[in-house]
Amino acid sequence: MAPTDQPANLTEAAVIRSDHKMSDFWRRLALAGLAILLSLLFGAVAIFVSGKNPVLAYWSLLKGAFGSVDSIAFALNKSTPYILTGVGVALCFRARVINIGGEGQIAVGGIAASWVALNASDLPGFCLIPLAILAGSVAGAAWAAIPAAMRLTRGVHEVLGTLLLNFVGLLMVSEVLHGPMGEVGAGFPQSPLFPEQAWLPALVPGTDLHIGIILAVLAVFACHFAFWRTPFGFRLRLVGSSEAAAAYAGVTFARTVAGVMLLAGALAGVAGAIEVLGVHYRLIQGFSVGFGFNAVAIALLASLNPIAVLPAGLFFGFLEAGALAMQREIGVPSSLVYVIQGLTMVFVLCAIGISWRQQRI
Amino acid sequence: MSHAEVGSLARLEMRGIKKHYGAIQANDGIDLTVMAGRIVGLLGENGSGKSTLMKVLFGMVKPDSGTILFKGQELCNHTPRDAINAGIGMIHQHFMLVDAMTVLENVMLGWKRTGLRVQRNQIAQEIRQTSATYGLDLEPKAVVGDLPFGHRQRVEIVKALLRGADLLILDEPTSNLSPPEINSLLDVLRRIAKQGRGVIFITHKLGEVFDLCEEVVVLRDGKVAGKSLIAGATRRELAHMMVGRDVSSGLERTDRKAGPEVLVVRQLTLRDSSGRERLRDINFSLREGEILAVAGVDGNGQTDLVDTLAGLKIPSAGAVTMDGREITRATVANRLRSGLGYIPVDRATTSLVPGMTIGENIGLRDFDHPPYRRGICLDRRVFREQARAKIARFGILARDPDTPVQTLSGGNQQKVVLAREIGREPRVLIAFQATWGLDPGATRFVIDQVIATRNRGGAVLYISSELDEVLMVGDRVGVMSNGRLLGVVPRDEVDLGQIGLMMAGGCDDLATPSTN
Repeated sequence: MAPTDQPANLTEAAVIRSDHKMSDFWRRLALAGLAILLSLLFGAVAIFVSGKNPVLAYWSLLKGAFGSVDSIAFALNKSTPYILTGVGVALCFRARVINIGGEGQIAVGGIAASWVALNASDLPGFCLIPLAILAGSVAGAAWAAIPAAMRLTRGVHEVLGTLLLNFVGLLMVSEVLHGPMGEVGAGFPQSPLFPEQAWLPALVPGTDLHIGIILAVLAVFACHFAFWRTPFGFRLRLVGSSEAAAAYAGVTFARTVAGVMLLAGALAGVAGAIEVLGVHYRLIQGFSVGFGFNAVAIALLASLNPIAVLPAGLFFGFLEAGALAMQREIGVPSSLVYVIQGLTMVFVLCAIGISWRQQRI
Repeated sequence: MSHAEVGSLARLEMRGIKKHYGAIQANDGIDLTVMAGRIVGLLGENGSGKSTLMKVLFGMVKPDSGTILFKGQELCNHTPRDAINAGIGMIHQHFMLVDAMTVLENVMLGWKRTGLRVQRNQIAQEIRQTSATYGLDLEPKAVVGDLPFGHRQRVEIVKALLRGADLLILDEPTSNLSPPEINSLLDVLRRIAKQGRGVIFITHKLGEVFDLCEEVVVLRDGKVAGKSLIAGATRRELAHMMVGRDVSSGLERTDRKAGPEVLVVRQLTLRDSSGRERLRDINFSLREGEILAVAGVDGNGQTDLVDTLAGLKIPSAGAVTMDGREITRATVANRLRSGLGYIPVDRATTSLVPGMTIGENIGLRDFDHPPYRRGICLDRRVFREQARAKIARFGILARDPDTPVQTLSGGNQQKVVLAREIGREPRVLIAFQATWGLDPGATRFVIDQVIATRNRGGAVLYISSELDEVLMVGDRVGVMSNGRLLGVVPRDEVDLGQIGLMMAGGCDDLATPSTN
């Protein structure tokens, strides 16, 4: 190796490096901004075609998302389950485990938390709430353990396992509501109202904002730390980048996959518990519908970066809150709301997709 | 030997084929003549230019210069499709078949004659006929995935024959076949030649050449090292043509007396999921301060041997002991802790994670232990410090420990691997094709590091398909052939002819029924 080729090599490395770290972040941000702009533009066309005024519609969307303390509280509550479930999904995807079972895991977590809230109602709140949330996380993890075991022992792909168990989880909510946990004579499949000490305390008195968002933020930071700074995260990154390299490094594939599935299941289970304890104060049919798949979208929106799930989840929560207001006030059909949400996702994902290949692992 | 008088009958005449890749002259003026009804063996080591020559012929690679005449017509700037239309059939080492489809469907796939309206029955009938003529024993309705390996190869042969191949090229066709399958393949090829078609049989196994071919062309370093009619050739002669070189090391190595045995391997056997033996009764020992270098053509069980020793595959029988402790079934982590270093061949997916930093790659196999691990956390400072020390010690050209490994050159990437595996001062080091894809400077660096490990008292198993390296590095030298480790001898007792014979499977009576 001739000493003369050293300077050339070093400059090259330096260029790649600075490109890698600095400009990449801003480029991604600019692309994301462009994507949101484009989706709003297309959405405006769709609103115009449906006979409404796009400017008014977007004004009400903005007001619905940020217009008042109540609307912000509503949006934050909406974001909470997205963030919790999304960060778990992001970790799974990082290890190349395609877990799309968030919906079922939320459902089962909700059932378990409800059962605790209804049956241990003589406990004081500071015991009852942690216990119910814990029950939710254990149930969610157990639900995720099934497809993990199917994958590791029988080779059933986790996409299939998690997807199918979603339906089972949803139907189980129906089942318990029509049976042991249903409210007699309610006319709608729902459980009796939880005792008040089981309700999640408000974060800002006088609003609906509950402490769930705090848990979600803590979970994101914990996952970020675990992913980048612990042996567990190192294993995930290894398994995700190359199974051969993981085996060479002495990492057990099965243990790693099982670990991340259980973690994601537990996080989704907590999301389920928070939904029933903090929003509905009871178990109701279909409370988890759509959360699981939105969580996948959010994880992808965050480039599978645990910390980025926070803004991605908030973006989704606020967008949804605003869109609902738009529907309520301007009468934009609800299907159009989903169209705008979908467009935003498509554009943002396209923008991110461009820079994905250079992503750090 | 003059073929001038039969030149007019020649199916194929390649003249002065040259092709270079970068600084490497893969084909350096090769002539090759194949006559109708003849089976020509093309013999040579890895990298001797066999594959390049055939890719040129088949139109997959454009030669720098040279002419190709096939059935009197010049092939020039042709594509594989043109080659097929002209009547050249190529059976690749890795089959181009769709496992989930039937034999019939595979034959029809991508064939113009099939047309828009698929003539299933007619083609099925033709497959049956061809199959009967050549003794292929193929049922058109069988699903390819259910067929044994030998039969899948026959599907490729039928494909080529039905497309009207007058010249059949087979690239290492026996490398994945069992002995009985090899025998029936040779029978099939004899019948094909009898019908007046030409066959080029690419191999590195001498036994098969003597069994099947009428003439043989030996390639070495991109040139024709010799050609001969089989009738007038001896094995030793051909082996020497194929390997022919001096054992000039040009390497300074101190004599060192080997110490006590460190790694002992006894009767190691490995079967794959289909029950075929990948490793057969391997016995050897490594002593302190000694390098056992193993030569051999790729695919003779080297990968299985190193993976089994490194703990990535579990042997079916036999025992491995290290410092008297049995590690036959020990985990990778346990082996690491007892001081077993391993340099795998594949940098891109095994020994390195290209997207991770130098620091993370240095700690790749030790991250779960102190100093890298502190409590439940990884100590990033330690990763950086270790990397900084290794960058300095091994002269890795990189600005800092946070540089992603994928931005380094191949030589510097391999230095990262060496820094990790040799840096831990292993009791036993397994180096598998450690110089693969490196330029001469980096190759030399790797070899120097391996020898330094041996001088420090490490026991080294050095496996390479580069015979020069094996002869340069080894204190003792052996050959892997067909899943067995053969003829381990001290370096001053090395007999090149013998090594050539072993590499060419000439000593393996199981794989090749010998006639000479």
